Order: sequence, then C-alpha cells, then structure tokens
Amino acid sequence: MKTIVFISIVLISGALAGLVHGTVNFTIVEPYLDQAIGLENESLFASGEAEDTLEFWAEYESYRIWQKSGQVLAGVILGLAMGSLFGIVFALSRNSLPGKNDVSKSIILSGLMWLTLYLIPFLKYPANPPTVGDGETVVLRMILYVSFIIISGVGVVVFYKISKKLQNNKKYVAVVGYAGLMMIAFAVMPDNPDEITAPMNLVNEFRFVSVLGVSSFWVTVGIVLGLFWKKFDKTSKLEYS
Amino acid sequence: MSEVRQINKSKSAVPKIAILALAIVFAAGLFVVGFDQGHIFSLVYGEQAFVDLTIHELTHDMRHAAGFPCH
Repeated sequence: MKTIVFISIVLISGALAGLVHGTVNFTIVEPYLDQAIGLENESLFASGEAEDTLEFWAEYESYRIWQKSGQVLAGVILGLAMGSLFGIVFALSRNSLPGKNDVSKSIILSGLMWLTLYLIPFLKYPANPPTVGDGETVVLRMILYVSFIIISGVGVVVFYKISKKLQNNKKYVAVVGYAGLMMIAFAVMPDNPDEITAPMNLVNEFRFVSVLGVSSFWVTVGIVLGLFWKKFDKTSKLEYS
Repeated sequence: MSEVRQINKSKSAVPKIAILALAIVFAAGLFVVGFDQGHIFSLVYGEQAFVDLTIHELTHDMRHAAGFPCH
C-alpha cells in the first residue's frame, strides 16, 4: 500500500468514527450534560456566586451553544487522533493479530484497544458530568488518568511480547500477567480526589451513555479501517527482471 | 535473451514517515480535545487565552463525554 493511501484511509476512518461518536454524544449524552450544568447553576445561585438574572442567562446561552456545537467537531478531532493511534497499531500488529481477514483483525484490535485503553481505565477513573470536577484538581486528575492508560497500554504490549518468547506460544501468560499488573495499579493508584456531590442516578446514567458513545467510536473505526484495508492493501506484487 | 522471473515481494513494512505523521496527528488531536486550557491560543493572544478558554469550551462537552478530566 502506498504511504499516502495508508495515511488517508487511517485519517478518513478515524474522522468517520469520530463523527459517529460526536453524533451519538449529541443525541444521548447532551441531555445529561444540560441536567448537570443546570444543577451547577442552581448551586451558583444558592451560594451567591451568581445571580439569577437575564444577563446571566444570556451569557449562559451563548457559551452553552458554543459548547454544544463543538460536540461533533471535537468528536472528529478526537477521532482523527485516536484513529491515527489505531492505524499505527494495526499496521504494526496486523500480521500477529488473530482473524481470517483484515476486517476481522481490525475489529479484534479495536475491541482490544477499547478494553485496555478505555474500559479498564474507566473502571478506575470513570467519566463524570460537569458539576462533579474541581478545577483545582484537574491537573492531578489528568496525570492519574493518563498514567493509568499508559500503564494499561504498555502492559498489554510488554506481556504480549513476553508470551511470544515463551515455548508453545503460551498466550495465557500475557493475560495473567496483564491482569496482575492492572490489579496492582488499581490498588496502588490514588482514587479521583473529587467528592461526588451530584445525585448518583444522574452520575451513573451519564457514565452509561458516555460508555455507549466511546464504544460507538471503537466499533466504527474497527469496521471502517478493516474495510478500507481490505480494499486498498496489496501486500505482494509481481515484478519482472 | 531476456529472462522472466516472478517474485513475490512482501510490502508489509510500515513507512516510518507515515508513523511519524500519524503520531503527530494523535498527539495534537488528543491535546486539543483532552488537555488544552488556553495553551494553543496563548501563542497568539497571550495570557488572555487562559481566561477565554476558547478551545476548552469548544471541546468541553466531548471532554466530559469521552471521560477526560474536566472542571
């Protein structure tokens, strides 16, 4: 496959999956964001930090429209980013992945990356709606979240390589080793320092639709890149001398 | 007299330039959506960008929905 074709199909599949992600979020996550921000506003009025005036609502409406309109655009940008990572990993690991063809290999990899880079870190540091996070702790929370993702992602690669070096291709060693590493990480890494003050049913429902949104990205990128790869890849060619 | 030979040549090696380009897209896109607090626009608008938080507000809803830490 030509380099420009490889880069193009990776970026297009990432952007398409990001578009799906943003659209799903716009449809099912936005109502929970509005609800959470509504609670945040009530808290501001109750504490006297803001007044329930026409000026307040005019300013609120202007930035909420900006935030909502960015949902799909941010989905595409994030899709390009995560799709690029997915494309790199797929290109480097395609020959080692299980699966009968490029589509099944791509879907298997997207499932693996969804599990290790999203769902397992999510179990330790789940998504929270607005009103929960404290601005003072945002850098610490970023460091914790990214560190956990790096531990999970690097852990998978390291234990997979170890299992390949063992006799009889003992893949279960990678699974056991990775599970052990993540259990240690779960126990050792500090919890999210922010106290949850919002109603738990709102938080839990928000988390559920958040998982659906991110999952829609990984399903789409796995299918689309696999189909593109199947169409454009020519791994061998005939030469004459 | 010319000789014709058939060679099956593997083309599975991934070009390093493609890896580099995609890695840049990955890092830049992730920073924009997940972490920018005015940093990018501060290159043009200075300290005011950290007050306006233009990109942060644009990506705010996706940031929460995708699980990134936010305020």
